[in-house]
Amino acid sequence: MRRVRPLGMVLLLVGLLIPAMLGEAQERGITPTEIVIGSTVPLSGPVSYWGSGVGGGIDAYLKWINEQGGVHGRRFRVVLRDDSYFPPRAVLNARELVEREGVFAIVGMIGTANTFAARDYIIESKALWITPTSNDIWAGFRNRKYLFVTWPSYLHEGRILTQYAAEKLSTKKIAVFYQNDEYGLGLLRGVKYGVGTAKGVKFVGQASYEVTDADVSAQAVKLRASGADTVFLAATPTAGALIVREMAKLGFRPTLLATFTLGDPIMFRLAGEAWNDVYSTAYFPLPGTGDAKVDQMLATLIRINPALRGSPYNALAGVTFIEPLVEAFRRAGRDVTKEKVVAALETLRNWDGEVSRSVTFGPERHQGLNRLRVVKASNGQYVNITDWITYPTQY
Amino acid sequence: MVDLVQYAVGGLAAGTLYGLVALGIVLLYRSSRVLNFAHGDLGALAAFVAFTFLVRLEWPFLPAVASSLVAAAALGVAFYFFVLRPAREATLLGRIVVTLGLALAVNGAITLVWGADTKVFPFPLSDVRVYRIGSVVVSQMSLGLTAVGLLLMALLYLLVQRTKIGLAMRAVSQDLVAAQALGIPSRRIFALTWGLAGALGAAAGILTAPVTLLTPFMMLDPFIKGFAAAVLGGMDSMPGAVVGGWVLGLAESLFAGFVSFKFKTTFAFLIIILTLMLRPEGLLGREYHRRV
Repeated sequence: MRRVRPLGMVLLLVGLLIPAMLGEAQERGITPTEIVIGSTVPLSGPVSYWGSGVGGGIDAYLKWINEQGGVHGRRFRVVLRDDSYFPPRAVLNARELVEREGVFAIVGMIGTANTFAARDYIIESKALWITPTSNDIWAGFRNRKYLFVTWPSYLHEGRILTQYAAEKLSTKKIAVFYQNDEYGLGLLRGVKYGVGTAKGVKFVGQASYEVTDADVSAQAVKLRASGADTVFLAATPTAGALIVREMAKLGFRPTLLATFTLGDPIMFRLAGEAWNDVYSTAYFPLPGTGDAKVDQMLATLIRINPALRGSPYNALAGVTFIEPLVEAFRRAGRDVTKEKVVAALETLRNWDGEVSRSVTFGPERHQGLNRLRVVKASNGQYVNITDWITYPTQY
Repeated sequence: MVDLVQYAVGGLAAGTLYGLVALGIVLLYRSSRVLNFAHGDLGALAAFVAFTFLVRLEWPFLPAVASSLVAAAALGVAFYFFVLRPAREATLLGRIVVTLGLALAVNGAITLVWGADTKVFPFPLSDVRVYRIGSVVVSQMSLGLTAVGLLLMALLYLLVQRTKIGLAMRAVSQDLVAAQALGIPSRRIFALTWGLAGALGAAAGILTAPVTLLTPFMMLDPFIKGFAAAVLGGMDSMPGAVVGGWVLGLAESLFAGFVSFKFKTTFAFLIIILTLMLRPEGLLGREYHRRV
């Protein structure tokens, strides 16, 4: 009995220490051979087009990295979860990715409303979170140590396009067609901001739609009745195409401005002729605009996943979500920890990836991107019409 | 005034689609008391099948559409024989849940086979060519779709009200035991009803796809509105389904145009609640009496 008691004490101590030692030695989501990344995107529901393109782009890009041997001998594995663009499911998925799947980082999350719903949990869980697709909600938000964003600001996009239209396109009266959630409202605020700062342009009307709406004919009538000479589209690709067709049907052909999330070439097919001459913005060089690296990356993504041929822009956007993180892994070295990856991310200065351009992070700066350029749709292709336009960083 | 009429035109066009969806729901409900939650997804599936015939196999329009209608009808019949009939001992609620399962399965299959991206459904009528009556504009496609929708509604009404098959369908729906005692082959009639409902759903899907663009979820909104239209018009009334669709479409469009886009659906459903409070059987439904 006397011999058993000390032995039991030792075993108990070892039993308690082993998990603690393992925890010290190994980060969540990282093994000697693997790095596990998670993402929640809408793979079903009305905006599954965005989710399947972005999710597919992330997956194909990491497969390409794996083909080259991974990073420091570790290969990437992606756990994709479907949230149907539904905030409660996005929160549940985030919990599952962190608590059950034990991912090292969450990459993306499509939808400002989803991001807004999940942000408290993810921030409190201290999971590394790279580029949720919202920007403006982080200004003034604390505890962002593990949050890094390379998504443009809707507020500034709305402002930049409105100012451009006022200065270069003779816009006098502008109206907005927007999705009735934080995404659309953010852009609506941006346009109003632009109206407030540009000379000679007046805000004359707005028409919202719900993401599940199948009929937007009433919105087209309302926009025509507003007397607008320019309409800003803050919508999904489907709703954007529908409103353009409905307006054309009424013989109402204003100057069209569209948010960069409508940048996919699929818009030329969905909206037809009416998509020509639409002005939009881009935060990375769009395919076919003369950047060989981007065109090459797109070809690689399509080789790995031919289905991405149907949504090239979204697939490339997916790459912009993940590639700063992959670069941080390269810089962090073989003995990687979350803190080392954070430190490595904070060393990125005007960094260019395969698709991303001019990403800058720092200890005091987690908004990695603060520039856009105006592009124009012309004969089934986007053309750059301005140089990069920068805007102030907020966090 | 021009805007008012334009809102009404848009509302009626949308309402015709809602009515067409509602007809399929009512047809099945009248005969079997089952609310088919897969109705919209079957319509979407038929539209994707027609899309494949049209674009990938390059069939002419009419054979492609006819084939997809037949395929949807066959799927409806198969669902009755292989799923619902074996589950006939299940409660009514259980059978309704089975249709919900079918909806999810069909939707998943569409996404798997055709992908989630939005497609343009080729249609022989133009969405850009328009007719002007004063300042009011109607596109060739809207006019054509509304006309086809009305024609289908009339044909269905004639089938159910003026033919022997329709008589048998009505008999089975009113008193199954008595109908069977009179020698009406109830199983075949049920199968026929499921087939017809499948074809109606397919027609609704094919007529919706050119307007809303082709996506796996394109029938989500039309199905919910069609269901609401059926309740509004009276769940056992086919004319009620059509009228319900128009009332809903008009109410939504006018409220959106003159009051608020954000509350247009809320307003439409408020009308339904008010109608049902005043007339629980729906606008054209028959009052339900039970003998004691």
